[in-house]
Amino acid sequence: MIQLFHVWKHYAKRPALSDITLQVEKGEFVLLMGPSGAGKTTLLKLLFCAERADDGQILIQGKNVARIKPSGVPYLRRTMGFVFQDFRLLQKKTVFDNVALPLLVQGLSSFDIRRKASEALKAVGLEHRKESRPAMLSAGEQQRACIARAIVNSPLILLADEPTGNMDPDLAADIMDLFKTINARGTTLVIATHNRQVVEQVNRRVVTLAEGRLASDVGARQ
Amino acid sequence: MRRLGYWVREAVTNIRVNQTTTFIAVVTTAFTLVCFGVFLLLYLNLRGAVSSLQDDIKVIVYLHDDLPAQGLADLQRRLSGEPEAADLAYVSKDKALADFRAQFPSEQGLLQGLGENPLPASFEMTLTPRYRSVDAVKRWTDRLKAVPGVAQVQYSRDWIDNLATMIGYVELASVAVGMLLAAASVTIIANTIRLTLYARREEIEIMRLIGATGAFIKIPYLLEGAVLGALGAMLALALLKGGFEFMTLHLGLPSRVLGLAPKLGFFPFQMSVWLVVAGLFLGTVGSLISWVGLERSRT
Ligand SMILES: Nc1ncnc2c1ncn2[C@@H]1O[C@H](COP(=O)(O)OP(=O)(O)OP(=O)(O)O)[C@@H](O)[C@H]1O
Ligand SMILES: [Mg+2]
Repeated sequence: MIQLFHVWKHYAKRPALSDITLQVEKGEFVLLMGPSGAGKTTLLKLLFCAERADDGQILIQGKNVARIKPSGVPYLRRTMGFVFQDFRLLQKKTVFDNVALPLLVQGLSSFDIRRKASEALKAVGLEHRKESRPAMLSAGEQQRACIARAIVNSPLILLADEPTGNMDPDLAADIMDLFKTINARGTTLVIATHNRQVVEQVNRRVVTLAEGRLASDVGARQ
Repeated sequence: MRRLGYWVREAVTNIRVNQTTTFIAVVTTAFTLVCFGVFLLLYLNLRGAVSSLQDDIKVIVYLHDDLPAQGLADLQRRLSGEPEAADLAYVSKDKALADFRAQFPSEQGLLQGLGENPLPASFEMTLTPRYRSVDAVKRWTDRLKAVPGVAQVQYSRDWIDNLATMIGYVELASVAVGMLLAAASVTIIANTIRLTLYARREEIEIMRLIGATGAFIKIPYLLEGAVLGALGAMLALALLKGGFEFMTLHLGLPSRVLGLAPKLGFFPFQMSVWLVVAGLFLGTVGSLISWVGLERSRT
């Protein structure tokens, strides 16, 4: 599903990712760990075509990302969901409209948009705030709105960057359960996190980065 | 369609949020278009004047005094057979003299001294519409001069020629000024929309991240540009109309401007519509241009 071969990414001559080779199978649930500045966000951005690798190959669903034309990127993104570390919600729109936007962009009917957006909001427990603007929500609520937007079009791949960073442990556990449910339906997940508690609870493959290098890759405990 | 609703709402929001810049863009666009409109009006009216003058062009063929009656009849038949001739009237020597006397009563003495009637007989001809152009008249008169029995051919040449050259210049100036000002309106609108784009670059980036195509993101801004351009053109038309009415009513200018213009006219309705369409087009182009810098900055 996701394949990286000797991938490099530099920011201002300093490597943020060095020689990463990694494979994620369809339906896998991967936790991406590592200290701050290790390159977790950078790796996810490469998968999402928000940044381009300087060297190496990235295949997503068998397609070489480097060969996708700019006009093709939106269509690739429609098969993926992304939970951003900094939420990236449109401040002028309601939570509902934010969640509905990926569907609107694809030209779904009003009926389907309403149905799917409501389902996604229900899944993250944010139905009661759907008419609020993002600024009126707590950080944890904004994060959940962002998750709802990422899962609203039933993506094949879900990438999440610190999706529980602003949540209390109970809520974090609930969200992880939600991710497990999504994963059980066949979606491939890559989730970056610092949270050891979450890692323990989820008990799946853990890939660790350190200073841009692949430090360890450990499967789930039996 | 839900997407259409989205685009329109986004465009309306952009325009409402940036009321001041929108207003300034519309007004400046309107003023540039007014300048162009003035030239266009001048050109159209001159052209109208010339074509109405060309309707009145008369070609006068003066005859040799010694032309026999048979020759006169032949010539008349020949001339009225020409495709250029619409109408043909014979003016005899006597009639020419009578006309002259009627027209210039104070100049009687001038002719008396000459004894015999010095005025030649002539044919006065009007032109068929197809040949009412300066070039066609020139060619025809040159040809007529060679016809036996014809002493001289005249038409009201000078001022028609002058007017035609003048029109050429005005046309040229209109095109030049038009292009310059079109470029100016495009720039004004491009800059206005660039401000919007800059204010909303965050949102535009988010739209890209959730899988919106470039076209989907751009459409509201293209609409905004189109609306600005069209509003500018409408305001320009209103200003031109106001100015035009003021000049015709209060200054009585038109009759004095050319002396010969039958009546100054404003843009016909259809052309006004075209001007608004042109404004709309310029606005859209401006909006497209405003993206160029932005696209370049994110590679
Ligand atoms: N846009 C950028 N320009 C310059 N340097 C960058 C940029 N983005 C990331 N970096 C650098 O690349 C390295 C990896 O950053 P990255 O954001 O991937 O870390 P991270 O593992 O996500 O950290 P965190 O856990 O704090 O989110 C860091 O040293 C960072 O300073
Ligand atoms: Mg990060």
